[in-house]
Amino acid sequence: MKLRFWGVRGSIACPGPKTVEFGGNTPCLELRFGEKNRLIIIDAGTGIHPLGHRLVWNDIQDGPITTEIFITHTHWDHIIGFPFFRPIYIPGTKLKVYGPITFEDDSLEKIMGDLLRYRYFPVLHGELTANIEYLQLGECKMDLGDGITLKTKYLNHPLLCLGYRFEFNGKVLCTAYDTEPFRNVFSTDTNAADFDPVVRHEGEEAAREENEKLLDFYRDADILIHDCQYTKEEYFSSKIGWGHSFFEHAIDSALKANVKKIVLFHHDPLRTDQELFELEKHCQKHLGNPSDLEILVAKEGMEIVL
Amino acid sequence: MEYHHRLTILDHYIRQLPPFPATVNKVMEICRDVNTSPTDLTKVISLDPVLTGKVMQLVNSAYFGLSREIISPVRAVVMLGMNTVKNLVLGATVMSAFGTSKNFRALNMDMFWKHSLGVGVIAKLIAQKRNIDQKLLEGYFIAGLLHDIGKIPLNSKFSDEYRNILGIPEKKPQPLFISEKQLLGIDHAYVGNLIAKKWKLGEEISDTITYHHAPETYQGVQNDILFTVILSDHFANNSEIGYSGNRYFENIYPEVMRYLGDDTEFSFDNISAFNGEVEQEIENAQIFLKIAG
Repeated sequence: MKLRFWGVRGSIACPGPKTVEFGGNTPCLELRFGEKNRLIIIDAGTGIHPLGHRLVWNDIQDGPITTEIFITHTHWDHIIGFPFFRPIYIPGTKLKVYGPITFEDDSLEKIMGDLLRYRYFPVLHGELTANIEYLQLGECKMDLGDGITLKTKYLNHPLLCLGYRFEFNGKVLCTAYDTEPFRNVFSTDTNAADFDPVVRHEGEEAAREENEKLLDFYRDADILIHDCQYTKEEYFSSKIGWGHSFFEHAIDSALKANVKKIVLFHHDPLRTDQELFELEKHCQKHLGNPSDLEILVAKEGMEIVL
Repeated sequence: MEYHHRLTILDHYIRQLPPFPATVNKVMEICRDVNTSPTDLTKVISLDPVLTGKVMQLVNSAYFGLSREIISPVRAVVMLGMNTVKNLVLGATVMSAFGTSKNFRALNMDMFWKHSLGVGVIAKLIAQKRNIDQKLLEGYFIAGLLHDIGKIPLNSKFSDEYRNILGIPEKKPQPLFISEKQLLGIDHAYVGNLIAKKWKLGEEISDTITYHHAPETYQGVQNDILFTVILSDHFANNSEIGYSGNRYFENIYPEVMRYLGDDTEFSFDNISAFNGEVEQEIENAQIFLKIAG
């Protein structure tokens, strides 16, 4: 299994002199499996634009492009690159787009298709020449063929968002973005008008169990790519409930779940290269020595072979 | 089948209907408030055991495919989040008024539901634009939602006749309620009135259900909500939002436009302007057609 990061940034693309090292594109991850070099893409943030060009230059010589895109959720930063993914304009391209169901129940096809409307873009979805199929997922297990299996799990984000766990040839890759720790959302203030000790207890239990389930989902992964938008200080001062994690939480989760390698991902758009280098050092320090866990901070263009 | 026999059958059917959730107003208010606290939300669910059951059924339906069962609203809020649970509760409440697809033998349930929801949403939007008191807005929604409720027993109990009724406009263009009266001797407004009594719905909703095709005979004091729903019904039919069997609509009673127009110079033109809002509200609620049927 091979991975290449085409976009590692959260929220909004942020090119500029302060993001040259880690990159400014929003999420897009290229996965390649086995001798067939089968392609699976996770998310269609702005990073999918250069990926699309690469595919058209390289892969198309071997025949039409056939691929699957797994959308973690449909917030802008994870889908906005879709209209700029060149293979969708090439006859013969076969594309399956997967994404989570949502409570609003606009279909995935409608949400993605709406990106290609004249008010936003000069081409309509109906004019695309590629063969595109849309499929919506809840929590499930799937056999993707070629020895690849997939498990999905709801994460904790304001919009239903799926984590993906791919298993191939004894290797496991797991994604956990966008997400934050599950927490008790019910009142813990004994003086508050709506305080109820039973509800508080149940809320705390539920959060604990959901966090356990997430650890089970990551368990023994060779690589875990985890949301790390905030520092601990940022998270606890003003970002609780925004659906993103902080560095220490991601690392501690990886340790508890016996993960071998964690990739810290979904960087805040205001985070400069300098700050990310410093945070990398901070994370190593937090981990302490010696440890079996390897920490990487996601960089655009980074490749990993499992 | 004789008229009196039909009445007996309907009476029996309506007596067996489950009660309408008494908390419905509160539920709507809480679910539509962006500042609702998790405690308010779970409390309103827990107050009503039928609603609790329905919400938990939705949470654990195949739709979400959760690997482990969620056993309480508190857990559902922690796991799926406020936004998802709010929408589920709203849907469960709305659907509880309509029962399941087995009641729909002649009419298409999805289209009927969409029409009803559409009329409810439009009625509320009109009321909002007319600066009706915030606290009363959900009443407009519910009156619109339930205005055709009388069609459900007719569909369920006399489905063969109802299919014939739906076919009449092919030969003779006339409003549905007239065909109902001709073939069954009873129309959906009358049946709706029986349900309103059984459910002890307030006068504003009950009168809307009973008089929405006969505003010229109305002697009561609920003109505001009745006329708003009549206008909304016309708008939903003209815009083909869902379908509740009515292909030829009677002309709108002039007093309706005069009354609503006097207030704010309301017209069809400015209703069309919020067509997008209506579609959005309906789309938000459509999930329940898939998982609650």
